[in-house]
Amino acid sequence: MSLSMTRDNIVLRSLEQIGNCGLFLLRMLAAVPRSLRHYRETIRQLWFVGAMSLIIIMVCGLFVGMVLGLQLYDVLSIFGGTSATGTVVAIAIYRELGPVVTALLFAGRAGTSVTAEIGLMRATDQIAAMEMMAVDPIAYVAVPRFLAGVIAMPLLSCVFCALGIFGGHLVGVNWLGIDNGTFWSNMTATVEVGKDVINGVLWKSFVFGIVVSLIAVFQGYTTPPTSEGVAYATTRTVVASSIAILALDFVLTAFLM
Amino acid sequence: MSQRPSYAVGTGLFIVLGFAALGYLATQTTSVVNTSRGPTYTVDAHFANIGQLKVRAPVKVAGVRVGQVQSITLDPGKETADVKLAIDQRYDKIPDDTVATIFTSGLLGDQYVGLQYGSSQKTLAEGGTLALTRPAQQLEEMLGKFFGAGGAADNLAGSYTVKARFTNIGALSAGAPVKMAGVAIGSVQSVRADPVKLDAEVTLSIDKKFNQIPDDSAAAVFTSGLIGTQYVAIQPGGSPDMLKEGDELVLTQSALQIEDLIGKFLVNGSPSDKKPADGDAKH
Amino acid sequence: MTDPISAKPDDSALVRVRGLTTVLNGKKVFDALDMDIPRGKVTAIMGPSGTGKTTLLKHITGQMRGDAGEVWVDGQSVSKLSREKLFELRERIGYLFQNSALLTDFDVFENVAFPLRQHTQLPEVLIRNIVLTKLQAVGLRGAAALMPAELSGGMARRVALARAIVFDPMLILYDEPFVGLDPIALNQVLKLIRTLNETLGITSVLVAHELEAIKQVADHIYLIANGKVVAQGDPKTIASDGSPWTRQFFGGDADGPVPFQYPAGDYATSLGFPRRGA
Repeated sequence: MSLSMTRDNIVLRSLEQIGNCGLFLLRMLAAVPRSLRHYRETIRQLWFVGAMSLIIIMVCGLFVGMVLGLQLYDVLSIFGGTSATGTVVAIAIYRELGPVVTALLFAGRAGTSVTAEIGLMRATDQIAAMEMMAVDPIAYVAVPRFLAGVIAMPLLSCVFCALGIFGGHLVGVNWLGIDNGTFWSNMTATVEVGKDVINGVLWKSFVFGIVVSLIAVFQGYTTPPTSEGVAYATTRTVVASSIAILALDFVLTAFLM
Repeated sequence: MSQRPSYAVGTGLFIVLGFAALGYLATQTTSVVNTSRGPTYTVDAHFANIGQLKVRAPVKVAGVRVGQVQSITLDPGKETADVKLAIDQRYDKIPDDTVATIFTSGLLGDQYVGLQYGSSQKTLAEGGTLALTRPAQQLEEMLGKFFGAGGAADNLAGSYTVKARFTNIGALSAGAPVKMAGVAIGSVQSVRADPVKLDAEVTLSIDKKFNQIPDDSAAAVFTSGLIGTQYVAIQPGGSPDMLKEGDELVLTQSALQIEDLIGKFLVNGSPSDKKPADGDAKH
Repeated sequence: MTDPISAKPDDSALVRVRGLTTVLNGKKVFDALDMDIPRGKVTAIMGPSGTGKTTLLKHITGQMRGDAGEVWVDGQSVSKLSREKLFELRERIGYLFQNSALLTDFDVFENVAFPLRQHTQLPEVLIRNIVLTKLQAVGLRGAAALMPAELSGGMARRVALARAIVFDPMLILYDEPFVGLDPIALNQVLKLIRTLNETLGITSVLVAHELEAIKQVADHIYLIANGKVVAQGDPKTIASDGSPWTRQFFGGDADGPVPFQYPAGDYATSLGFPRRGA
């Protein structure tokens, strides 16, 4: 009996969270026109969530590309198809690894810091102080971080993909000796702008940007203003973002294919 | 206050870098042509066999893309595939006696429709039909042609023949190459089953240039990669006597069945078998 | 309930609370509370912890709304204001948070300039002059370039005060301004409250526990308990008021109308002893 009660509660609580999250998104969207005055703040946040994430995104993109090059070369050589390494690296990175890994890294790097920052601003009454100074905290705190995330994610994904291709090229061509021309010509012949770059990289990372930023801002904004609450909210940002990214990835792939 | 310009500049750099990466992805790693959808006109072509041709496969003239396959249907009651080709409006001077052939990009690549211009004064228009078509070549035929031709060319310098007996030659056929150290030195002249010894007797025709092969060399039937063709590999021995016309190679190693090969790869991977695979990929 | 129409814009009371009733988490925080805060005076609100003094300030600024009754600020009923009007009202109210609530992203100067930047399009020179004037008033002009993390508690509170007065408000609400200050910092803040009130005529509302400090600065004291005003008057008269509330509160007795024990069941029963007799 008590078990079924808690299970009910978990389901209900999850639904409540999702509902609140949706309402929060509406509140933020309604506040977007008002937050245009705070464009400076959006730029500042773009610096924090975007530019500051560049290093980790670039390093990870490079290594993902390199390891893909290595693995694919090994597997493709069984079939005598090492010349397809570039193609498969590009397709794997564009369609899946680029947007998904970028989003996961973004959730860990920028999402948590946004959650913790907003949570601490709430705990130290900074949010209330803004309310008191007649500054709408949704428009000043939540929306700029949300917009910055939505803008930064596709850009970061592109950087990740470019570095991934570079890493694949480094391993495939420079180390394993695939012909440079073969590598590029096979890739350019197969990869399509619409299907791989726009649908694969841009659309997916745009949706991931919305979801991860929403979760991060929402968790920070609604956390109980205690140190325990902030810690818990940060964890939830990573967990909820990761699940949402991977689940949405499947849905998006099914739709965009 | 003083930090404002620095992050603004940094943010600007970040945005520029992001868009540069996007531009790089979109232009350097894809073929923009693949998606340029200008106005097109449609022509029909009927093929006896389309092989692996797929919708949206490219249509090429002299190797340059001029359009793509729009649809592939089977005419009810007929045994030919009806392929509709969408050709860019820019290329409106295609003669109506042009030959459409289904080619394969490389050995394992995708298939595409190649157009070879005829000499007619009339040009194709919307709804026109390419009457002359050549069906897709089956891989087996192509390989046979490919290696057969290679062997014949080698024979021009003159050759000598030796025999080798195998308990199993797999898919080895006449015309397959004979290689030493991965380099072709001749070809398989004939393959026949011995009614008495119940094994396969393979006659190898080896280029005269290679007359310093020890007579205790071993012959093995190898496969180029998993799905490549089979060939005979000569592994030189240490005997002072050389192979002569009509000799027999005593030491032989039979072909491995593909199932065995796959098993080997899956279980422990066999680096020595990858080398020929690499060589094959260079074609 | 008291008639809210009695609150008129030109009244001598800047803030007028009538019949305010608020229930939070099933607990009645205010029970038909009536209160008047006179213009141009320093009013202190005292009371045992947990009686909703901070909650009362939140009602005045419209951050919370009561379940019944009304709060009038400068003739406007706060709970009936639209968001825009409420924000306009808040621009005329300074609020000093217990923990200062400085924006940690900005230095002292930008913290004080923040309301100006948000609500005006003043030229940079003018903003600079206003901010430096206010910082000079709290004695921290030299600290303009420091970050909030580099400030002591007393300095942070003075910066927060400079920020609260940057728009020359008609009303400043101080939430526990003396907590955690050493005697020097406490006297500095006291002096500032007094100066601001005397020189600019700003109405001030103080929520605090420090009786000695309040006696020096307040013109009028409200003592609230159990959701009602239990005593009021100027510092001299309220101390001599004979009610048990004032005796316990100002005398510092552990037990009295405010019980030492949090409401609980029978002590013996919770310790597991059988109930003796009936």
